[in-house]
Amino acid sequence: METYLWITSVWGVYLALAVFIVGIGLRIYQWATTPKSAVRLGMFPKPATKSGRFFKMLKDTFIAPHSAKIEPTMWLFSMIFHVAALAAFVGHLRILGEYPILPGLLGGEHAMNNFAAYAGSIAGTLMLVGVVFWIARRTFGPYKNLSVPEDYLLLALLFGVIIMGDHLRFVYGGFIHADTYQEWFKSLLAFKPMFPEKLLSGNVGWSLGTHMLFTDLLLMYFPFSKLVHTIGSFAANYVRSE
Amino acid sequence: MEKVQLETLTGVIDKKMNRQLKQYIDICARCAICKDACHQYVGTGDFKYLPARRAELIRQIYKKYFDKAGRFVPALYEAREPDDNLLDELYDSTYACTGCRRCMYYCPFSIDTAWILSVAKAILIAAGRGNEMLGQLADAAIFKGDNAAMFEGVMLSGFDDISEEVRAITGNPEHKVHVNKEGADVLYVALAGAHSIRPAAVIFEEAGENWTISMFEAANYGFFYGDTEKARIITKRYIDEAKRLGVKEIVVPECGHAYRVAEFFYEAWSKEPMPFKVSHILEKVDDYIKSGRIKVDRGKIAGKVTYHDPCQLGRNGGKFEQPRDIVKAVTSNFVDLTPNRAEQWCCGGGGGIVAMEEFKDVRLKSGIKKVEQLKASGASVLACPCENCRLQIEELNDVHGLGLEIWQVIDLVVAAMPLPGSQRSVEAAPAGEGANA
Repeated sequence: METYLWITSVWGVYLALAVFIVGIGLRIYQWATTPKSAVRLGMFPKPATKSGRFFKMLKDTFIAPHSAKIEPTMWLFSMIFHVAALAAFVGHLRILGEYPILPGLLGGEHAMNNFAAYAGSIAGTLMLVGVVFWIARRTFGPYKNLSVPEDYLLLALLFGVIIMGDHLRFVYGGFIHADTYQEWFKSLLAFKPMFPEKLLSGNVGWSLGTHMLFTDLLLMYFPFSKLVHTIGSFAANYVRSE
Repeated sequence: MEKVQLETLTGVIDKKMNRQLKQYIDICARCAICKDACHQYVGTGDFKYLPARRAELIRQIYKKYFDKAGRFVPALYEAREPDDNLLDELYDSTYACTGCRRCMYYCPFSIDTAWILSVAKAILIAAGRGNEMLGQLADAAIFKGDNAAMFEGVMLSGFDDISEEVRAITGNPEHKVHVNKEGADVLYVALAGAHSIRPAAVIFEEAGENWTISMFEAANYGFFYGDTEKARIITKRYIDEAKRLGVKEIVVPECGHAYRVAEFFYEAWSKEPMPFKVSHILEKVDDYIKSGRIKVDRGKIAGKVTYHDPCQLGRNGGKFEQPRDIVKAVTSNFVDLTPNRAEQWCCGGGGGIVAMEEFKDVRLKSGIKKVEQLKASGASVLACPCENCRLQIEELNDVHGLGLEIWQVIDLVVAAMPLPGSQRSVEAAPAGEGANA
């Protein structure tokens, strides 16, 4: 198991982060160095001022009100997924260090861990709901016809990341808390990788390793996939108002 | 596919590539939210008309030749070469597209499928598969520009006839269609046909506008065909004329794409700033009414009146309110279509599709949403400031027996003006009560 952990949760993480950072950098570089369309592609109505256009871009990107109007079900599940993913991301920041004020407000470390357990469970479940909806949607009709292997691969990777994250949360969440994962992740950042004893005893290592395996693969594929919409949608939505 | 032809086609993509196109291709999630936005997909249920699918064909070629990941694992993206199968589907999905950009309106990333299809058209033209009819119409316009003197006699005689009609309407013996008037403020670039000139001339003359007519029409089949060089040359005909006459403003007629071409595309095609103010004729008319330069009576148009936003004038041109204000000035019985303005359904007649007989079936099927809207409005009169929209809706009117009277907005205005020759009121059955409904 320790070898598996070293592959997926040490060297895999380094490799994935390197590929992700370089890949995203290249993608942005490509976009930035390709000349802008000479034709103004904006549509109406559009705000008259630059700041108005900027805020409309933020609204269109984060809320997608037009999409909500035409396909509310898809919008709802996508919103659920993205908001839950953001919450999960914020929660994962605890592996970099404990939040400064929150544990105090909640009434100590135990309460903080309890809160994280609830919040993480909800976020993890909602993400799963979103991804299952997307997978189901791609199994029939025009959605199936429009899908290419890239779509299924990404959904499979996301499903793997989430199901194993949920597994860690629901099976081991009661006795392995952020501080344990923090020890491991901070050691990676310090380039002195190690695993705390708690992660090496029992089967949790297999679960973490698999969670990280899917995460590594997703991160490595990210810059070369349609997931670059996380960055590109801001630019494209801004062009809408130009 | 032969290497030379392949290089030609990929060369087109390379030449046309820009940041927006690249981002659209890179970020489309194939979520298919666009499917219910497209009147053609909704009207036919045919997968090839699903907007993301239309764009996907270009993406497949792009991935195959321009994207490292696509070259490394083509199967992952269904990357493929532009073979006959691909080009056949591309032809249908591209030339059928009316360019309404309703899919862009609803897309969470605002992906402009029509922009991606402009590359598709360039590829099809390079492959010798451009639409013949649109190409011929574009070439005819260019020929006319190159041989203007050949057409001058017949045009001047036509303008004389229209001048007679204008005088009969206004009762003013001084009124006429001004031709080649140097120092005019406004160059009116009409469509081919007296219907586009007569009411405009009445309004300009009654408003006391210092105007002159263009010898060229505003329609641009080079734009529909997808050849930007042809489109530029066709537009340049009246730009040069405007320069020669020293006008201050170019006014385009009740035509959707003509406005968009002049206001949004010409600068990019010609790589020079548009030297004139570009206005749509309804902006001018709205101004004349509001400033009191022309008078209109509210009681002369009978029946419930509705208004259709042509996509190129509304969603893509930003002119939502002036046309409505005009219609509301000539009738107190106005009803809007639902949805309207930016969410207005495309009638199905844009993008040059009315000129392409081969798309008649999909065109008529794609009008079903417009038919439903018109029926639901209960209107008996439709004001519509776009020639292609009117042609399409007139056909839908016949096929579905809507019993609508379909008018240019400027015709409604002239009918509502207190002039000796404009005594005409509209009597029509409400939509949906026609013989075949």
